[in-house]
Amino acid sequence: MILGSHRAAADLCSLEPGTHLCALEPDGAQLDRVAATFVGQGLAAGDQLLYVASAEQVDGLVRRLSESLDARLAVSTGQLVTSSFELAYGSSSPDGVDTMADGFRLAAHQAQKRGFPGLRVAARMDEIAELLGSIDEVTSWERTATDLQRELRVSSACLYDTSRMAPGDAAVVAREHDGLAPAIDVAPIATFLAVDEPWGVRVRGEVDLSNRHLLHRLVLSRATVTPRLRVDLDRVTFADVATVAGLRSIAAALPEGGHLVLARVPCVVRRILEATGLRDDRLELEP
Amino acid sequence: MTAAATHTTLLYDGDRHYASATGRFLREGLEAGHRTLVMAPPSRVEAIRRELGRDADEVAVVDDAVAYGPQWNAYRVVLDFVAAAPGVRSRVVAEQPLATRTPVELVDYRRLESAANLVFADHPVDLLCPYDAGLPDHLVDIALDAHDGVLGDGCVAPNARFRDPLAVLADLSAVVPPPAGAATLDCSHHSDLSLVRGLVRSRSAGRGLDPGVVADLELAVTEALTNALVHGSAPVLVHVYDEDRTWVWHVQDGGGLPVSPLAGLLPPAEPTDHGYGLWLARQLVAAVDVGSDDSGTHVRLHVRV
Repeated sequence: MILGSHRAAADLCSLEPGTHLCALEPDGAQLDRVAATFVGQGLAAGDQLLYVASAEQVDGLVRRLSESLDARLAVSTGQLVTSSFELAYGSSSPDGVDTMADGFRLAAHQAQKRGFPGLRVAARMDEIAELLGSIDEVTSWERTATDLQRELRVSSACLYDTSRMAPGDAAVVAREHDGLAPAIDVAPIATFLAVDEPWGVRVRGEVDLSNRHLLHRLVLSRATVTPRLRVDLDRVTFADVATVAGLRSIAAALPEGGHLVLARVPCVVRRILEATGLRDDRLELEP
Repeated sequence: MTAAATHTTLLYDGDRHYASATGRFLREGLEAGHRTLVMAPPSRVEAIRRELGRDADEVAVVDDAVAYGPQWNAYRVVLDFVAAAPGVRSRVVAEQPLATRTPVELVDYRRLESAANLVFADHPVDLLCPYDAGLPDHLVDIALDAHDGVLGDGCVAPNARFRDPLAVLADLSAVVPPPAGAATLDCSHHSDLSLVRGLVRSRSAGRGLDPGVVADLELAVTEALTNALVHGSAPVLVHVYDEDRTWVWHVQDGGGLPVSPLAGLLPPAEPTDHGYGLWLARQLVAAVDVGSDDSGTHVRLHVRV
């Protein structure tokens, strides 16, 4: 799959923020799959996703994502942002590296301001060599990006089409990354998407020890922007007691005038609320 | 400083004895300004009502099907009742029919009765647990093991048969290894939680279980497995098998800190993020066994079949 790397494919569910991944594939279709996996899992985890690609590649991604989550919702709330390479990274060297770094900083800052716990970036790198001038400049940028992303806690997947690279360059690029971005078909057991109107989060699937921290951090990030929020649980098929207890704690810590509405509460959550008696003045149940 | 709790049994001989003894216990409480609660089957409640006459209106009643369904809900009912009027002492009559309980449920009831001495020790409550003296010896033994006083003719006599609650609980926490025919799965990863819930659903199909029972079992297994993943060590195993009249989901981990025999008998006193799992499991299934030894920590969840 990749040349010259000893690194294993990353587990996107437990991806440490700031991880710098790459994919090096000789065909665009496989890169499409890697992009869909990276973006889909990142959205499901509640992060904001920036996909840097051509209009055609963006369309393909949204179509593919729609099979497993509400990609239109993600686009409408700005949880999924897309950009052409020129817009994201500029179109002229030698300012390339600085412009790209500034773009990263701004995007990371914006993600938090808009109520997302983090930012992940997937970028088609087809034009980077052209922009920066040489493979040495590309590896230099990637090295800078590794440090920058750790600092900003932004994860990324840099998607390289090896059919457009000189022999040997793929191995050089791979060495500047923390690991490989995988292409997998298994959808996460739950998706946590932001909703703007009413402000809050839409949850579907199963929430337990494996993913409840993702829900809680998204709800917290939304609450930081506006402390009146609605968590839509309509499509929740399972939640454990600590999931519910964590939501109650978030509600209880909201400032004066804040509230957290649990909407369309499924049986399993009602059962937990009744059995435990967990409640708070700021935790409201929408019938 | 309020007086400590009391936990007394009454071995009654017939309905008349039952009604006069429990009636007197409650009336004395009412006269002393105490609050009163009866958790019992409807026929027993009716006998108490007739005995108390107009005073019966002062007595709160919770049907045994609620108070003991599941059994550990009884603690919650008593604690909520006591907490409703801080500073006022409460008298509680607590009885459920034991004849229909399965063997593992009776083991859990032994735990419940013995642990009550510790759980309620600092609460202003007088608990009276009537037992029919005509019950088989192994059931009357529960009364004699777990209560330090026996209500006689209007006064409480010390019970020489009373056993140290922690010793009883230790005896009842011996590990029962899974039988040779059990299905066993390695569930050492967080992602296994979802797979095991799927297994609960698929294995429940065809057993004729109520969908609510299956949903509760999914939640109970998740909570037990979550505790094993968070507090125990690998490998974490789930064994599934039939035993006597129950279907058992048995979670075993490689061990960790010893589990207190009082762990999970009560919900956390104040709302918190964690610490509900084992307590909640006891509210969801028919009986829960917890024990640990060299083979690790074992939590057995029993569903009636």
